[in-house]
Amino acid sequence: MKGALTVTLKISTLLFLYSLAASTYAEVEGMCNMCHKYPGFGIIEKKTDEQSHDRLRLFYINDDLFSASYHGKIRCFSCHTDVDKIPHNDLEPVDCGTDCHILEPSVNEQFSHKSIVDDLRKSAHGAEGSRHEDKGDLPVCKDCHTNKTYHLDVAQKDANISLAVCEECHVSKGFVKYFYEHIGYRIEKRRNSKEVVALCSTCHADQELMDKHDLHAVSGFSSTFHAKAISYGDEKVANCLNCHAPYEEGFSPHRIMSWKDNASPVSIKNKLQTCSQSDCHKGANNSFATVSKIHQAPDMAELLTIAKNRLLSIADPAAEVIEAAEAEKEANKAAGEDGTTDETSDGAAEDTVEMNTPFIDPVFHALVVYGINLFYKVIIALILGFFIFHRCLDLYSTMRNPHHEES
Amino acid sequence: MSSHNGTRQFVRLTLNQRIQHAIMFISTILLTITGFMLQADQGFIDLFGSYAEDVFEMRSLIHRIAGVAISAVCAYHLYYIFTTEEGKSWAVDMIPRGRDGTDLVQNMKFMMGLRKDRPKLARFFYMEKVEYWSVYIGMFLVISTGVIMWTEWIWPVFFLDVSGAFHLGEATLAAAAIIVGHLFSVHYSPHVYPMNRAFIDGMIGEDLMKDEHGEWYEEVLEKEKAHTENSDRRHFSSDRRMSSPDE
Repeated sequence: MKGALTVTLKISTLLFLYSLAASTYAEVEGMCNMCHKYPGFGIIEKKTDEQSHDRLRLFYINDDLFSASYHGKIRCFSCHTDVDKIPHNDLEPVDCGTDCHILEPSVNEQFSHKSIVDDLRKSAHGAEGSRHEDKGDLPVCKDCHTNKTYHLDVAQKDANISLAVCEECHVSKGFVKYFYEHIGYRIEKRRNSKEVVALCSTCHADQELMDKHDLHAVSGFSSTFHAKAISYGDEKVANCLNCHAPYEEGFSPHRIMSWKDNASPVSIKNKLQTCSQSDCHKGANNSFATVSKIHQAPDMAELLTIAKNRLLSIADPAAEVIEAAEAEKEANKAAGEDGTTDETSDGAAEDTVEMNTPFIDPVFHALVVYGINLFYKVIIALILGFFIFHRCLDLYSTMRNPHHEES
Repeated sequence: MSSHNGTRQFVRLTLNQRIQHAIMFISTILLTITGFMLQADQGFIDLFGSYAEDVFEMRSLIHRIAGVAISAVCAYHLYYIFTTEEGKSWAVDMIPRGRDGTDLVQNMKFMMGLRKDRPKLARFFYMEKVEYWSVYIGMFLVISTGVIMWTEWIWPVFFLDVSGAFHLGEATLAAAAIIVGHLFSVHYSPHVYPMNRAFIDGMIGEDLMKDEHGEWYEEVLEKEKAHTENSDRRHFSSDRRMSSPDE
């Protein structure tokens, strides 16, 4: 009896070890939870030349959160296509253009983000669209899509009535909830304006990064009315995307372009239409739209340096930006006069010329505004100084002649 | 002392003037608060919590309403000083004259203890004239630049930026001048502690009248004397306790 038990245990142990060994080097699909269900499951990446300190990377997957997320219906292997063994240390970053193993319900075909990934690649943020040679710092999908548990946000809203209406016809409650959340979340803004500005500023306000890519850091935006309204939580005022990639005008953040590109919504050609889009500056004219700079680049400080250098006849590299802008305006103007623009037939060329005429030298602009501010600083100091002096004398005379006051 | 000390009371501000002043100071307070909210830092904005967006919307609305109100009272004031006797008298007495310079020097000497008595000042002394005419300059600038910014879509950004700089600069100057120059001198002053009540009931006491407007006090008494003599001749007697300078 004892011998039989020992043999059984030995066989069981061998079978277990065999199955583990087999799964380790072959089929691991469906076993992700075996490890990733444990909170604290992760590694510490030691510091390298590129990484200044040790970094903890957690690989724990909360099942509830994951199933409630955008990708909750997708299997791990749909995205992590190169996982074929345990442990899997040297995985390639996920390609968001991979075909997913779910069907796109409107056409019943395999779903993929490929078209959006292609758009991004061709955009100013993509490897093809970026004008700079260094492509290493370009943003990837995950830099913007931080993949919050979006669906839980929607589920917290009072959607019971709407869901009940849907469930009248659609039998599967799970499907109804998923579909409702999918649509409902897209009806609402996914990020408020404050979050959009903070997200874009992550890179575009980084002076060092922008310098590296020959771009100007966005420094003047925080002092604009738009920024102040956003800081109060006003969602009607334009954030970065409302001007640079307005969905309402047929643009998309995935197809964002440089302002120098004629197709960009903030190009000189399209600015008027962008500024006067619905709920914004209705009735805006060319002079308002074409020379408006919501966030001046170069900023006020740089412009003043240029002005100072001009006075001292010192060449300044930052002045190249202004010269380039002026040259571009001249080129556009010349194109309009030559009738070489593609809108000559409907008289748009005339508009192009008109749009370029009310250009004021940004250095002169900055100097005037700086002068006014300085004037008020001086005048306020002088007037208040006089008032305070007069007041002090009055107090002194009152203290000196208390009886006079009491009489 | 109080602004109303003395055996007699004189009319300093008529009801019409007090209403103009009231609309002006209420609008100014609202404009200052709602205007400077655009300069507030994030820490202040966060105090509004989830109401911040509504507060911002109300801020914008209140600023415009108060702007219209103060523009209307300015327009009315121009009509008032050109068409009414009371207004004309006010404007004429406000016109700067050479004597204001002498008053300034003599008053400074008095306050420094270099002169025994304060000079006899007119109905409006140099400081009040500076404040009054500053309001014309200030109002012209803030109203015109305010209109430009309100109709932003028709202006190039250069004009908007210049207008914004003037609007903010002038508003800052006005707010500071009102607090330091006007509020503390005219209201919260040892002469009239805790406040000069003329802006409420329009009256000024004889003591303050003599001290701050000695020349005007004498003018009023002269007028009153002439008036009494005329009345006596018409066998009309009066025991009036109040006098108006505009009579």
